[in-house]
Amino acid sequence: MVPSLEIPDYGASLTSTIYIRGLGSRMENPSLSLYIDNIPVLDKNAYDFSWFGIHSGTLIRGPQGSLYGRNSMGGVLLLNTQKPMGGGTAAMVETGYPGMLQLGAMGTAGEEHAISGSVRLSRGYFTNAYSGKPLDPYTGGVLRWRWDRSISAFTSVSNSLHLNASREGGFAYGRYQDGEIQPVNYNDEGSYSRISLLDGFKVSHTGNHIRLNSLTSVQLLGDRMRMDQDYTPESIFTLEQRQRSAGITQEFIITPERSFGHWRPQSGFFCFGKLNRMDAPVLFKEDGIRSLILDNANRNIPEEYGYLDISEKSFPVNSRFLLGSWNAALFHESVWVLGRWVLTAGIRFDYEGGYMHYNSDALIHYRFVPIMTEAKEFKTSYTGHRLQHFFEVLPKISALYSIPVSSGSLRVYGNVSKGFRSGGFNTQIFSDILQGLMMNGMMEDLGVYLDNPREGVSAGNTQYKPEEAWNYEIGLRFSAGGRLTGQVDAYYIDCLHQQLTVFPPGKTTGRMMTNAGRSRSIGAEAELDYRHSGFHSHLSYSYCDARFREYIDGNADYSGNRIPYVPLHSYYFEVDDRFPALGLTWTVSGELRGSGPIYWNEDNSRSSGATIDLGATLGVSWGNCRLYLRGENLLGRQHPAFYFKSIGNEFFAVSKPRRLTLGITYII
Amino acid sequence: MRQILHIPAAALLILAALSCSTDDINELDKKEEKGYIGTVSVEYNGETYDNPNIKVSYTPSVDGRTANLKIFKIKFVPQMPVRVNVTIPGIQVWQEESITRFYVDDINPLSLGGEFPKYRVTDMNGSISGNEINFSLNFGEYPTRYSGACVL
Repeated sequence: MVPSLEIPDYGASLTSTIYIRGLGSRMENPSLSLYIDNIPVLDKNAYDFSWFGIHSGTLIRGPQGSLYGRNSMGGVLLLNTQKPMGGGTAAMVETGYPGMLQLGAMGTAGEEHAISGSVRLSRGYFTNAYSGKPLDPYTGGVLRWRWDRSISAFTSVSNSLHLNASREGGFAYGRYQDGEIQPVNYNDEGSYSRISLLDGFKVSHTGNHIRLNSLTSVQLLGDRMRMDQDYTPESIFTLEQRQRSAGITQEFIITPERSFGHWRPQSGFFCFGKLNRMDAPVLFKEDGIRSLILDNANRNIPEEYGYLDISEKSFPVNSRFLLGSWNAALFHESVWVLGRWVLTAGIRFDYEGGYMHYNSDALIHYRFVPIMTEAKEFKTSYTGHRLQHFFEVLPKISALYSIPVSSGSLRVYGNVSKGFRSGGFNTQIFSDILQGLMMNGMMEDLGVYLDNPREGVSAGNTQYKPEEAWNYEIGLRFSAGGRLTGQVDAYYIDCLHQQLTVFPPGKTTGRMMTNAGRSRSIGAEAELDYRHSGFHSHLSYSYCDARFREYIDGNADYSGNRIPYVPLHSYYFEVDDRFPALGLTWTVSGELRGSGPIYWNEDNSRSSGATIDLGATLGVSWGNCRLYLRGENLLGRQHPAFYFKSIGNEFFAVSKPRRLTLGITYII
Repeated sequence: MRQILHIPAAALLILAALSCSTDDINELDKKEEKGYIGTVSVEYNGETYDNPNIKVSYTPSVDGRTANLKIFKIKFVPQMPVRVNVTIPGIQVWQEESITRFYVDDINPLSLGGEFPKYRVTDMNGSISGNEINFSLNFGEYPTRYSGACVL
């Protein structure tokens, strides 16, 4: 529904990515920051958008660095939960095809407590051809509790608790062969389990003409992911990644109780600390040992000498990490209301640090056949730590002018703002590092030296600095006749120091992280909303031409190519009508959404054309109850949703099939 | 009679630890590995293939009667895609005044974790004189010579 927002539905909750105005990536730090009841969700792995009890949501597009700091390079999504005061009571039951059951309830207790919860069970939408079993079943639930209390006429406190637990399959990736996307077919487990807790405590005090807001949060996350990394029926390698993280945030915001004439300032301080313990062993299995290690090693050894063999049928490459990150920021924003003008200026000084302790090792037994009569134990280990610091200055200026019109409103605006996505460490590369150390070490232990040894990549090559974006935007917002509202805008985004994985120059192995890219997005967005009596219609459209300006990955130059996963056009059209009949209230709605074309890789050799999805809902209400039947993807078309390559194979994830949902809600 | 350098005692001690000279052979020197850098020349198809900057280590036994000779990162022929370490074990050693001489008739060298019969060593003769080592041998069908100087 939101122009320029693309959240491909693939993989599992951990792997989902967010693209907005062409900004986004599959790396750890997102381009869109999420706030739940003003609490910044530190970990992208804890992002959760679908739960019962959301009262309102606001998406602010474009870099919001001055007020929101890190990871708001593409925008900010603000979700607010149902408040105790004025909150209602509701219950919901949904069942669907294929195989889904969802229950939800929310309510208030007095004027201080609001509670909601939901549970969802799904048998999944895809089948693993290897096992014949559902690939992506889902079991999960969310529990939310909000507590508000006025301590005095000047002080109020509130607490917002959000608990999420889920277990799901996923990674419905089919191999692309002979021009077709094959059914999903792999032999090892793919799953993701997560439990996360987010608790925010807010104190608001007014005194001496100042309003002080303090928001403290504690965020805990534990998850486990299992992945068949080759996604084929062969036993090549698997990953099991476990994380336990704990974070604390603190924010103070000071605003005057009343505006100083035309001037409304706000200032603040933000800081956080987070610790993440990660254990991510990669298990090399029989086919992987042969194809990824031994074949590579023996390719360079003359056959008449013999060949290298490893005794183990499988062995783990263990990687353990302790990751720390911390941040402190001072920010200020001033708004001047001067007649028809609203002028805004903001600045944020943001410091962030990161620490990584790594400990990787692998133990194998190798034998050079036929010369060695017994296998020899060989251990590889790699341990150390890295530290890095960043400092960002994030300005923002904007101007909005209200044009007098006879009825309705018309406002034009322009703004310039900067945002950034945090730097960090790419822990996924460590398996690659240790594999290289093991191969080179084993050869050296054997007394064999290649003319062109595999390029060594070190922990320093896993570091990446923040990515920055400047957004230049103009637009207008209007309303007419109390029925029609809309907005149109155009923007140019210059993205600097883009975080990329590249190969060492001239090599095809040993990926490393770098800030080597620069890209730009040119786009336009439009939204129209019309309401009259029981009729409502909404149209949104976006155009986004996102391209690399500079991107050389060590082997090829992709400058000028379109950025993957960003559709050139996207649109959403919804029509719904409510009318009485037979003593009941009926609602009929239809929606059409589409996007494309879209490129899937940096060299733009893979692309998909425009796609269309059709949905509809028929509902009937009586008293406090509403019964509805909702259909999604009614045309039954499954189009590519995601693409990647792994060990030379290409894979696609496709969108979900046709779904039907029957639900009933009861609202007091 | 041996020549003794008239230098301060401390310097003597340092020189004794570092020197590759055979003037002051003693029990300590017999146990120490010595390293040399030089050129391996392999005769291949009527031409000579040179491997420059090849390290050779000479490790005598405690009684000084035998030694192991290890050649590092050698290519026997230009088209060989890898370099290998080769150890010639148990070569016979004897002294002729200030010159250390060694030889081995026929032995399988050690490489790639075990005996490497493809490059069986025959007719190996060599000497260490001062800081220099020279030897010749056959690696399988390839006549090979080495000439190197001691490294500190």
